[in-house]
Amino acid sequence: MNLDNNETRLGEVVETSTTGFVTQCYQLYGAPALGALVKSGGPHPAYGVVHHVATQGIDPTRRPVARGQNEATEEDVYKSNPQLAHLLRTDFQAVVVGHSTDDGIRYHLPSTPPPIYAFVHLCSNEEVVKFTANPAFLRPLATSNIIALEEVVASCLRYVASMHEDTEKFLTGAGKQLAAFFPGDFRRVETILQRAIS
Amino acid sequence: MSLDLHKIAGQIQDVASDLNANEGDRESRLERALSTLTSAQPEALEKKRVKSRANFSPIAGLGESMAGRYPYPALPSDYTVLAVDGSHIDVDRHLAVQCYLINMGTVHIRYGLNPEARLGSEPRLYTDEDSMHIIDPEGNRTQSLEGQLLGELRAVEELRTLATLAKETDPDIPALALIDGSLILWGLVGQTYPDFVRRVLMDDIYLPALDELREMAKQRPLALASYISLPRSADVVNVLRLDAHQCPYDVSNCDDHCGSLRPGQRPCDAVSGVVDRDVLGSLLDGEERSDSFINTSVTVERYYGEHAVHFYYLNAGAEMARVEVPAWVAESPELLELSHAMLIDQCRKGHGYPIAISEAHEQAVVTTKDREEFQLMLEGALQDHRLPVYTSQKNFSKRMKWL
Repeated sequence: MNLDNNETRLGEVVETSTTGFVTQCYQLYGAPALGALVKSGGPHPAYGVVHHVATQGIDPTRRPVARGQNEATEEDVYKSNPQLAHLLRTDFQAVVVGHSTDDGIRYHLPSTPPPIYAFVHLCSNEEVVKFTANPAFLRPLATSNIIALEEVVASCLRYVASMHEDTEKFLTGAGKQLAAFFPGDFRRVETILQRAIS
Repeated sequence: MSLDLHKIAGQIQDVASDLNANEGDRESRLERALSTLTSAQPEALEKKRVKSRANFSPIAGLGESMAGRYPYPALPSDYTVLAVDGSHIDVDRHLAVQCYLINMGTVHIRYGLNPEARLGSEPRLYTDEDSMHIIDPEGNRTQSLEGQLLGELRAVEELRTLATLAKETDPDIPALALIDGSLILWGLVGQTYPDFVRRVLMDDIYLPALDELREMAKQRPLALASYISLPRSADVVNVLRLDAHQCPYDVSNCDDHCGSLRPGQRPCDAVSGVVDRDVLGSLLDGEERSDSFINTSVTVERYYGEHAVHFYYLNAGAEMARVEVPAWVAESPELLELSHAMLIDQCRKGHGYPIAISEAHEQAVVTTKDREEFQLMLEGALQDHRLPVYTSQKNFSKRMKWL
């Protein structure tokens, strides 16, 4: 199990499969940005790119109702109803884009998915740069069947590019990789890259 | 075959028609009750109540005022609300193990500058022989703990848990300790069970918990209240029956004066058929509370002692609620106002019902699915230990819905 820095620990895996995992955040609205790189614990720590974030009632039979008609700000709604933080939950889904072994990073799926309750951390800037130095990390993401694929890939590139010293070089490498994944679909690659730099 | 709804539909229509036909009559009774409430002299009526021997129970005891209206008082900027609610899985003789489970939901919410909440539930399984019965400490009589008595035990445990919760709160800010339902354990103060059952549950647990809360309230602003939604009680209406507008006798004695009359024929039946919430609901505006009344039931007065149960009605906006408080809250203007202010704020936050009680219930609730899972876990544990898992043929028959 991964027992490193608690400050970056976001939550725990509550649903898991070979290609992705769902993390329940410890903090309400504590999900990382769309496209962020996270890493699970477990015997085969998996790297994942956040592609979906959802906040809802912990009890699926209880729907939130409007509470703020007489409150000045949204923040006041939570201050006036401190129990809400315990009754709502934020989950995020990550698509697995690689894993780490004793011998280093692998850009393919781990042999077993992260276990339920595996801790999930936000990767540090250094770890992001190291993992994404090889644009091969984009393959599992760009070839997945997630919703709003282009948006997620663009968000991921935007998130990652800001951490690389040579942003242009990184995006050029990523663009070439995407062009290989989407042969003949230049417009799609162009759309993703435009969104990544906007 | 399940309930034949077609056959019951006609009867339901008849009920609705009868209610509609009686509505005008009910209105006039309500007007009369309200007029008595606002015109009667509380002191004289109270004197008559004490001297009278009425067949209506309970009859509200009166203070100096009975038609007062108290507006929503100032709410403290920081305050804490505590609430406890329990639910249980009853003993089921069709199960392989004789046991019961009590799940206690607790809520602690602090409002103001440093808002925070702690929600929790604590399930406890009881299987040992001592837990399955209440044993007379002075003899060998026993009473099985199941059914209604288990409900009484749960209520007792709720108050004990509430007292524990109160000890853990910041004593520097005002607090309201809330339970759902009545402060009066009617099943125990009545004649339903042998006296040792009441002694064990009330004298040994419930009243000491009330003592603890009262002691805390001497050191800090802590109000205890129970909240009854849509109350059906008629304690106040019953005392209005004694007023000279209804009862023409100087001292009422129902058996002597009206013993030969049928219900509906007695002079005081001019206000029958309405309940307190109807009358007080007509009197109070939104977020106002009524005067406090006293529960004068002989057994309640005898067993509750210094914790005599007082009550007031609260126009909580969406409905009239009955709020029961012990004497030490009712007799303290500060605590009474605190309970009023905090309950209104709780109802505002809870869309008409105190949010803390509502959340305590959510923490405690045991669903049908939970009950099924619990039964399966129990059977699984027995199987793991190679113990016989058996059930009654009746239970087996219910599970197997064959043709």
